[in-house]
Amino acid sequence: MQSFRHFLPTLVLATALLLAWQIYCTLAQVSPLVLPAPTQVLRALFIERARIGPHALSTIWVATLGFSTSVTFAFAASVALHFSPWLQRGLMPLLVASQTIPLVALAPLMILWFGFGLLPKVLLVILVTFFPILVSLLSGYGQVPQAYLDLLSSMRAGKMAIFRRATLPMARASFFAGLRISATYAIVATIFAEYAGSRQGLGIYILTAKNSFRADLVLAAVVVSAVLTLLLLAVIRLTEKLTSKGPAGGKRHAAH
Amino acid sequence: MLHIEGLSISIENRKLVSDFSCALSENEVTCLIGPSGCGKTSVLKWLAGILSPTLGATGALTLDDTGITPPHASTTYQPQSDALFPWLTIAQNAALGLEVAGIPTKTARADVLMHFKTFGLAGCENLYPEQISGGMRQRAAFLRTLVQNSRFILLDEPFSALDAVTRLRMQAWLCDQLAHTPRGVLMVTHDLHEATQIADRILVMPAAGGPLAANISVTTPRHARTETAMAQIRTTLKSLLLES
Ligand SMILES: Nc1ncnc2c1ncn2[C@@H]1O[C@H](COP(=O)(O)OP(=O)(O)OP(=O)(O)O)[C@@H](O)[C@H]1O
Ligand SMILES: Nc1ncnc2c1ncn2[C@@H]1O[C@H](COP(=O)(O)OP(=O)(O)OP(=O)(O)O)[C@@H](O)[C@H]1O
Ligand SMILES: [Mg+2]
Ligand SMILES: [Mg+2]
Repeated sequence: MQSFRHFLPTLVLATALLLAWQIYCTLAQVSPLVLPAPTQVLRALFIERARIGPHALSTIWVATLGFSTSVTFAFAASVALHFSPWLQRGLMPLLVASQTIPLVALAPLMILWFGFGLLPKVLLVILVTFFPILVSLLSGYGQVPQAYLDLLSSMRAGKMAIFRRATLPMARASFFAGLRISATYAIVATIFAEYAGSRQGLGIYILTAKNSFRADLVLAAVVVSAVLTLLLLAVIRLTEKLTSKGPAGGKRHAAH
Repeated sequence: MLHIEGLSISIENRKLVSDFSCALSENEVTCLIGPSGCGKTSVLKWLAGILSPTLGATGALTLDDTGITPPHASTTYQPQSDALFPWLTIAQNAALGLEVAGIPTKTARADVLMHFKTFGLAGCENLYPEQISGGMRQRAAFLRTLVQNSRFILLDEPFSALDAVTRLRMQAWLCDQLAHTPRGVLMVTHDLHEATQIADRILVMPAAGGPLAANISVTTPRHARTETAMAQIRTTLKSLLLES
């Protein structure tokens, strides 16, 4: 009931948007080859479900693998950078530079170097999602009030103990914020990598559909990709709620 | 006895504290007063071993004739803000010092839970800091400090965030606690009334660095510290603070 009320505005707006689209297609008699109506997209999705399913599964698998590897790496890197200001000063500009590489340039190169397998796609997802998680972790580490650090130091806590008892818990909210941003990139990055060259996945499905001028199938795949992203976000939100410490139990983050 | 000898603290080239020396004895409450910005918090932080590295400090600290370097197990510091961690329950917060000192979580928790009643915190064990009132938070911070059982405790304006009534109650409560388990206390305060009610000894810091402006022993028993009995000493302190 609570969550229904929470999502009501989104439902209302989405319905209005879809209705407008449907009405426009009907009244203006747009060719379905150019812009299929929502109902036509849904029909395509229903008819093609058996073909889209395996592609979607492949995309989920690659995105999840890439994303979780990325989170692991980002966490390890954040700890290393936190304890070594020298490394942080040296690496941050390089990491920022890595974010300016255009994906259209990188994706074909990855396939050239690593073939059509899992590796180039996972690498691409890591490249896209790593940085926001790392930055949000580091910024979270910087938000610990001096009084907390003083308190622990005066208790003669070591660097690791301070990190574990104050710095990490403090960075929690910021970490999940970064995770949500990255998660929205993860599926898109996977589809892009598949688009550049792959045997399976929504990306290759979109490419095939586009080549046979099936706008409805392209949009059907887009719907699936949106649903996958929302699912990933829901999993993250659930993890955050379940592991939350404190009376808020998610209330503190209700604004998101 | 804890002796501070020749403590000097400087910021860049400016001397903040110079030639600060005093002795803290166990079972005695020492209040440190002085004009705002004279370096009271800095002295306390130096004793707690958490003075910012941008402040240079020299001086000797001896505990029963042995030189020690802060932070030392014989002192426990309580910051001005209660610094209760919002992600820990009151019981977990109270046990923090014990756990950091290496005591197993279970033992530490059991140790802390025994005291919730006397600290007026019964029923708050599993609440989080934002769920309890300001006075209760302060008592929780005191619990975290006192269960560490160190010989000396360092308090930086512990009651400054409380309303007048809660403040009076908490002062009386602290005196009771200390009567029950005496400690050496060094307490920074701005409040002359508070100092004269609680202290066995009052140290007055000068504004411009240099040795203590006054070191006054308060001998009147606590229960006899009425407004009239303490008027004299308060006047003395007031004039000391105003002239420095
Ligand atoms: N980390 C720091 N870096 C630079 N200056 C500092 C630092 N900490 C304190 N100071 C300076 O030292 C002076 C004394 O600070 P301190 O907090 O010790 O005073 P105080 O006596 O506790 O004052 P109050 O009574 O207002 O709390 C202040 O003028 C402040 O500007
Ligand atoms: N968010 C909360 N959830 C649960 N209980 C709460 C919450 N906030 C306050 N309380 C309870 O309400 C009571 C009163 O709290 P409140 O902070 O209003 O008191 P107060 O009069 O301001 O006290 P103080 O003078 O100590 O600041 C407390 O006993 C506390 O346990
Ligand atoms: Mg101060
Ligand atoms: Mg209040």
